Amino acid sequence: MTVAAESQSASELDPGLEGALDHFARLGLERGWRIDRDALEDNYLARSRSDHPDRHAGADARTRRVALERSAANNEAYRVLRDPVRRAEYLVKLGGIDLDSSDPQTGAPHPEQSFLIEMIERRDRLEELTTGGEDALAELRDEVDEELDAVFATAVDALDGGDTQAAAAALVQRRYLQRFLDEIDAAIDSPNQP
Amino acid sequence: MAYSDKVIDHYENPRNVGSLDKSEDEVGTGIVGAPACGDVMKLQIRVEDDVITDAKFKTYGCGSAIASSSLVTEWVKGMKIGDAMQIKNSQIAEELSLPPVKIHCSVLAEDAIKAAIADYQKKHGASE
Repeated sequence: MTVAAESQSASELDPGLEGALDHFARLGLERGWRIDRDALEDNYLARSRSDHPDRHAGADARTRRVALERSAANNEAYRVLRDPVRRAEYLVKLGGIDLDSSDPQTGAPHPEQSFLIEMIERRDRLEELTTGGEDALAELRDEVDEELDAVFATAVDALDGGDTQAAAAALVQRRYLQRFLDEIDAAIDSPNQP
Repeated sequence: MAYSDKVIDHYENPRNVGSLDKSEDEVGTGIVGAPACGDVMKLQIRVEDDVITDAKFKTYGCGSAIASSSLVTEWVKGMKIGDAMQIKNSQIAEELSLPPVKIHCSVLAEDAIKAAIADYQKKHGASE
């Protein structure tokens, strides 16, 4: 583990390899889905303090700019790594698959056609359920929530095993299910919608 | 992000929402998804003598995805399937003034109509 933050004096920030650090390296963590939460918090706080623009307010323009960029990068790294899903998706991205992209080679992989058909058919059933009362909706919500957990567990297993492709496929399913779950929640919130 | 008037119009008054019986011989069904956002789109066509006589869609997604599929169903009605096959996502994006971040919604609609035609052709021995 590399903890460089404490050793830097306030006015000499090395702009060095700013762009080359991934979020894990930036916050002094080993790359992987399972992280040391305490180390994440501690390292983030330490770096936030040492890179804080206020600490470099009297320095030259270049140092002030580096401090600002670094603070932003620390915050972004923390935002991604503290969230289990974002962390998993980020690992997949480091493995070469960007789930936010639709590029056929490096973008999110398409699920099986049967999965998409199921997603449509379940929407049809949701429409029927909205007239069938709250209990049925709550039941469906629990069901989808469990599936969401299950595909995420599959993704984590794949990441543990270093299988980026399988992780990406599971995380894509998770996104579809998340979308469906959001719609169920919307239906629960406004039961009078047609 | 601001939606164009045309997107809002299609979103608020979507044309041709619904389903056709996918087991019917004249009906082609295309189901596609956008993995990045979880949108799913079903687009169906009814074909008689190589001409699309009816089109229906169901889209679960953002306003741009709904508008793109709604627009495509409007366009393809009365079209020969060979011409419908030529529809490009850029035409959809242009008609709806989609911003760059929403271009993938028009891609989805293009994929959906192509998938629907392919399904129809498969049912009829894929003569093309």
